[in-house]
Amino acid sequence: MNAPLQPHPHFHQVDLKPKDYKNEATPSFWCAGCGHYGVLTGLLRALSEIGVDPNFLVSVSGIGCSSRLPYFVNSYKMHTLHGRAGPVATGVHLARPDLAVVVSGGDGDGFSIGGGHMPHLARKNINITYILMDNHVYGLTKGQCSPTSREEMKAAVTPYGGMEEPLDPILYMLTYGATYVGQAFAGNAKLGAQLIKEGMEHKGFSFINLLSQCPSFNELDTAVVFRNACNQLDTGHDITDLSAAMQVVNKAKQEGRIPTGLLYKVDRPALDERMAALVERVGGHKDYDLKKIIDLARP
Amino acid sequence: MQGITKNDLIIRIGGEGGEGVISVGDFITQACARAGLDVYTFKTFPAEIKGGYAMYQVRAGTERLYNQGDTFDVLCAFNGEAYNMNKAFLKPGTTIVYDSPSDFTPDIPPGVHAYPIPMTQTAKELNNPRAKNMVAMGALSVLFNIPVESLREVLTTKFSRKGEDVVKGNLAALERGRELASALGKTDPWTIGTPKSKREVIVMSGNNAIGLGALIAGLDFFSAYPITPATEVAIYVAKHLPKRGGTLIQAEDEIASISQVLGASYAGKKAMTSTSGPGLSLMSEMLGMAFMAELPCVVVDVQRGGPSTGLPTKHEQSDLFLAIHGGHGDAGRIVLSVESIQDCIDLTVVAFNLAEKYQCPVLLLSDGSLAFSTQNVPYPNPDNYKLVERKRWNGEGEYQRYKFTGDGISPMADPGTPGGRHIATGLEHDETGLPSYTSANHEAMQDKRFRKLKGVINDVAPTEVDGTGTADLGLIAWGSTIGVVREALQRLRAEGYKVKGFYPKLLNPLPAQQFEDFGASCKRLLLPEVNFQGQLAHFVRAETSLRPESYTICGGMPFTPEMIVNKVKEILA
Repeated sequence: MNAPLQPHPHFHQVDLKPKDYKNEATPSFWCAGCGHYGVLTGLLRALSEIGVDPNFLVSVSGIGCSSRLPYFVNSYKMHTLHGRAGPVATGVHLARPDLAVVVSGGDGDGFSIGGGHMPHLARKNINITYILMDNHVYGLTKGQCSPTSREEMKAAVTPYGGMEEPLDPILYMLTYGATYVGQAFAGNAKLGAQLIKEGMEHKGFSFINLLSQCPSFNELDTAVVFRNACNQLDTGHDITDLSAAMQVVNKAKQEGRIPTGLLYKVDRPALDERMAALVERVGGHKDYDLKKIIDLARP
Repeated sequence: MQGITKNDLIIRIGGEGGEGVISVGDFITQACARAGLDVYTFKTFPAEIKGGYAMYQVRAGTERLYNQGDTFDVLCAFNGEAYNMNKAFLKPGTTIVYDSPSDFTPDIPPGVHAYPIPMTQTAKELNNPRAKNMVAMGALSVLFNIPVESLREVLTTKFSRKGEDVVKGNLAALERGRELASALGKTDPWTIGTPKSKREVIVMSGNNAIGLGALIAGLDFFSAYPITPATEVAIYVAKHLPKRGGTLIQAEDEIASISQVLGASYAGKKAMTSTSGPGLSLMSEMLGMAFMAELPCVVVDVQRGGPSTGLPTKHEQSDLFLAIHGGHGDAGRIVLSVESIQDCIDLTVVAFNLAEKYQCPVLLLSDGSLAFSTQNVPYPNPDNYKLVERKRWNGEGEYQRYKFTGDGISPMADPGTPGGRHIATGLEHDETGLPSYTSANHEAMQDKRFRKLKGVINDVAPTEVDGTGTADLGLIAWGSTIGVVREALQRLRAEGYKVKGFYPKLLNPLPAQQFEDFGASCKRLLLPEVNFQGQLAHFVRAETSLRPESYTICGGMPFTPEMIVNKVKEILA
């Protein structure tokens, strides 16, 4: 149990097209023009390119519009509680490191109610891929400010306009110690697919922020606004330089732009690798004689 | 030294935390168990990180012991605070062994036997000031016939890792303590009984025993978050689970713990977490999901004084409402509670078996005094435990995760199973797992999930009835209060009272018919429990025709047999 597996034994096992990963049994859930369709397209492409066996793929989400994504994917999947997709996925992955685990969720799910979990996914380097479907609004509850909403946004619970500074998920994840951090406009499914694919192949915690418009409840951050603001990183960007990554984000923010592409990537042992090493160090195995443990309690 | 043999003797050791109070208690406990005596210990820790009053009480005897006893026979006071904390209990016939010269001079009440022992001074003379507790232990061993050979063996084993000098130094202090006590004339009549024979036993605390039970049950995954008084479960598991190839993670909070447990369970593994009341409160939403998505999991709640932060290091049985009904919506759970260290091992295995069979959360309730109480139990043979695995899909036909079946139990499919792909969701769903909000489906699914639980009562041993015939008073008890009631009933019967006991370990679903049958054999019923509202009494009144009188205390300490005896006499007067 828990033998380290590099990177995943179930990658490049099947030759399936993106549409083969699409679960057609579930009727469409999102509004017309929703950016989440772009996220799904990118994910399906990435899965096809990786050639992951759908039987060994687990798609996990919390609650929100974006958290319905697993329903549209052919895989094992869990649709859990608001904010809890990260730790649930951690449990799936650590119990069965041979499974490929992808989390998807919104900005409220991940950085408001679930915000306490994000540092630990990153710093522990849990070998899962987290796709943030960041539309800067609570959509399922029909339009309230989220932690990434613009300060000036008027919304259902902020009829006179918001009063809070939005947070930047990328800066948080860089600070928390994520080992793979990328960002793209959801409408750019090609870049989205590339980041998801490389994120899944990365051995460690990969975080991909996909800026996804909400045509129903966010009039400020539309597809056009996102598309125009998104700027592909310079080819000269050093993805191993943490402070460079932070500077790129801060500088772009001052200029009203959003940097896209792979911002940061570093190799650090993932928690499951460390745990497997511990089991090996103590000579652990499933059939270890329990009596040796019970004997320690003899008076 | 001669004395009257007492079936059991209770020695309370008190002093400043860090003075070796806990070590002395542990050594005496281990030595007595090693020699073949029964042991039952009770400890209180200071809430402070360092210092503060620490107390360790050892009850050792030749007969089966069920609880910590009424009060001590012997007080061993390391300092003035220990004397002050306990002087009210120095009744005629009791004994005090105390450090002298020291910072205090006790007033010895009439009829109390006193043995001044220069503990601090002797340790200093031996150039081994930390061995004050060994001098005390030597004195105690002479005065009360604590099996000294076993004591020397236990001490040698314990200190051998620290080198031969440390072993010699401590043994020398022990022997010096014995000489000092031998020089005093014994005035009290008590000595501990001689064990009938050596036995194959282990000695464990409640928290460790739960960890062992989980290992026996086939635990694969444990998610921990520190909380008093449950942390030692995780500490034990953390040490031993890697040997079995399993995984332990310390989570960022209790919500993450239960979330990780459910993730591991979905992945096909046996998973658990342990916590206390505040942590269980945080887990209640996810426990609802476990019921909804039909995911097996085991959650241990080592109860402490509440509400809110409450009395974190104190004893209470006040989480029953939370355990049974905590959470939104109509959600079911299986709730077990443990009486003893033996139960901590055995019922943890039962908890896993039930979780696997019924694909639902199983809560195991322990409590603050059992958490740290050590007791001897017969050496458990892991091969003697029957283990249950979840029903898994056989691969035939089209897989439906939540298929309607006669008993409501639908086969599961681990990730990786070809054809078994499905979603586990907290949304109401149809047989395939897809969301469905029709009234017919919701009613059918709720019926399925609750129908499953009907089999539980038959899977748990019938509730033990203590006594036969018709009783003037029947006592219903749960958790570690059971052990107190057992002894109280023995004493009452010896005085001619017609009393019976009923000791449920399965508290949800409540075995109502078994309660009814017991109630029919008793003229009146009394239900002692350590909480303010009478929580089990509430459920008994709600789910059976019985109307037990509640006897509740919530002072942070367990009942004593004497309290129960007096209450029964008052009722039957």
